Amino acid sequence: MKTNRGWTVASYAIVAAFLVGVLVPIAAVVLNSFKQPNDIFSSTLKLAFSPTLDNYSKVLGQLQFQDFLVNSTVVAAGSTVLSIVVGVPAAYALARLPLRGRELWAGAILFTRMVPAVALVVPMYVIFQRLELLGSYTALIAAHTTFNLPIVVWMMRSFFEELPPDLEEAALVDGANRLGAFIRVAVPLTAPGLAATSVLCLLFSWNEFLFALVLSGRGTQTVPIGVASFIGTVSVDWGGSSAAAVLAMLPVFVLGLAAQRFLVRGLTFGAVKG
Amino acid sequence: MTGRRASGGRGLGYGMLAPALAVLAGLILGPLVYSAVLSAYEWKLTDIGLPKPFVGLDNYTRLFDDPMVGVALRNTVLYVVGSVGAELVLGFVVAAALFEMTKGRKLANALILLPMIIAPVITALLWRYLLDPQFGLVSQLSGAVGLPSGIGWFGESNLALPALMVVDIWQWTPFVVLILHAGMLSIGEEQFEAARVDGAGHLRILQRIVLPAIVPQILLVLLFRTMDTYRIFDTVFVLTKGGPGTATETIGLYTYRTGFSYFDMGYAMALSIFILVTVVVISTVYVRLLRRREVL
Repeated sequence: MKTNRGWTVASYAIVAAFLVGVLVPIAAVVLNSFKQPNDIFSSTLKLAFSPTLDNYSKVLGQLQFQDFLVNSTVVAAGSTVLSIVVGVPAAYALARLPLRGRELWAGAILFTRMVPAVALVVPMYVIFQRLELLGSYTALIAAHTTFNLPIVVWMMRSFFEELPPDLEEAALVDGANRLGAFIRVAVPLTAPGLAATSVLCLLFSWNEFLFALVLSGRGTQTVPIGVASFIGTVSVDWGGSSAAAVLAMLPVFVLGLAAQRFLVRGLTFGAVKG
Repeated sequence: MTGRRASGGRGLGYGMLAPALAVLAGLILGPLVYSAVLSAYEWKLTDIGLPKPFVGLDNYTRLFDDPMVGVALRNTVLYVVGSVGAELVLGFVVAAALFEMTKGRKLANALILLPMIIAPVITALLWRYLLDPQFGLVSQLSGAVGLPSGIGWFGESNLALPALMVVDIWQWTPFVVLILHAGMLSIGEEQFEAARVDGAGHLRILQRIVLPAIVPQILLVLLFRTMDTYRIFDTVFVLTKGGPGTATETIGLYTYRTGFSYFDMGYAMALSIFILVTVVVISTVYVRLLRRREVL
């Protein structure tokens, strides 16, 4: 493709313009989080201002935003661990072991990705209410497992399929059984894929809103609920909510960039290797 | 042989698959069946201990007579078509431009993905402030260059839905860019050589070689984006709550409100089954197309 100079220049310009569009909204909220109210509430744009950490100390002090961060961490970790423990063996079975109706099972698991959260949250609310689990971490972890477990199965299946089968076969010849070959050979060799899959599960759970809105209680509200409570209230605290947004985005950016190579694969159920 | 079969045959395969299937059956199939059964009853969340009258399919016939369902579906379809269409066109342009670049592609890739890993609720917050009529960046900038400023995007009935689409387009065009770009990278260099030998110009190569080669990726993008925009909830809930009036009422939001604002659970369950069925029908069409091309 690399031929015409004009096209090359135009291409750089298009990508640059797109990046500006991507970054400006993020930069604006980061700047706001360091501004005093009179620098935010101005009808002209102020790029020169004296930065302050007041918003952060307020969000972490008076508004107890760290409680939301802790709840999100517990729920994300719980649902990720559950999904990995249950999902990785299933992925290996679908990739390697003789199963009748293999594609049917895989298809059934893929189908669960199509089920809208709103179709699940209505009955789940009633069920968890009956079980007296409304507002518990258990309810949230269970709900988040509905989208994380299918991702683990499909992603890890694609990683296992990419592994050359010779190494597991060598272990089998050496007297290991299939389960041993899975635990001692296949799992360690797909460790980077496993790490990326875990990161994606943490990310999806961290960002989830509807289940958290309906199923969480006073002591278990997650970060998106905390941030949403800032928006739309009568006296919107822009500086405080911007600081909260930055605190919520920071771990996501770190995790997202760490799993960058596998992000698209996770979002497309392994269909795009990226 | 018999020993190998006992430890590595079908039994082990099913044993390893079973826990995942059991969890999914319990957490997804169970609630859906429960929902389907209870949608045949008339009951409010607030009527604790009262008998629930069996109404058969009444909740479903009600759905077709409910004018709000029509309004919500119309808004949802507009939202899907507007957002996904714009994301696809913009995404293709940017992916093609990225494909042309020789330097800085890695950095661009890393920055492009940022919007899609941010929580939709936070994206909503970013745009709530950007589009604020008084203190928003958009208003400040358009005021500075003499354009009309002070527009309350989310508060005007004819602007609120397009403004929500802008939020979706900002967040999800990166997803389209990355997938289409990955598709372009898998096109063999010899195809471009051949076209160049034939004297094909740049646009012709894009149209004759690149576009047909990435049809599977385009279908994939359409599948995921259609599914996800159809069930849109987070940003609408946070930014407009379906307003002003019913201008941004979507089918997902209406179902939520039926259940958790009006406590009309039987009807909410019928609505959620309706959403499920329509999503499955739409996705099945795409999945069939993708299977035919062996993408999924």
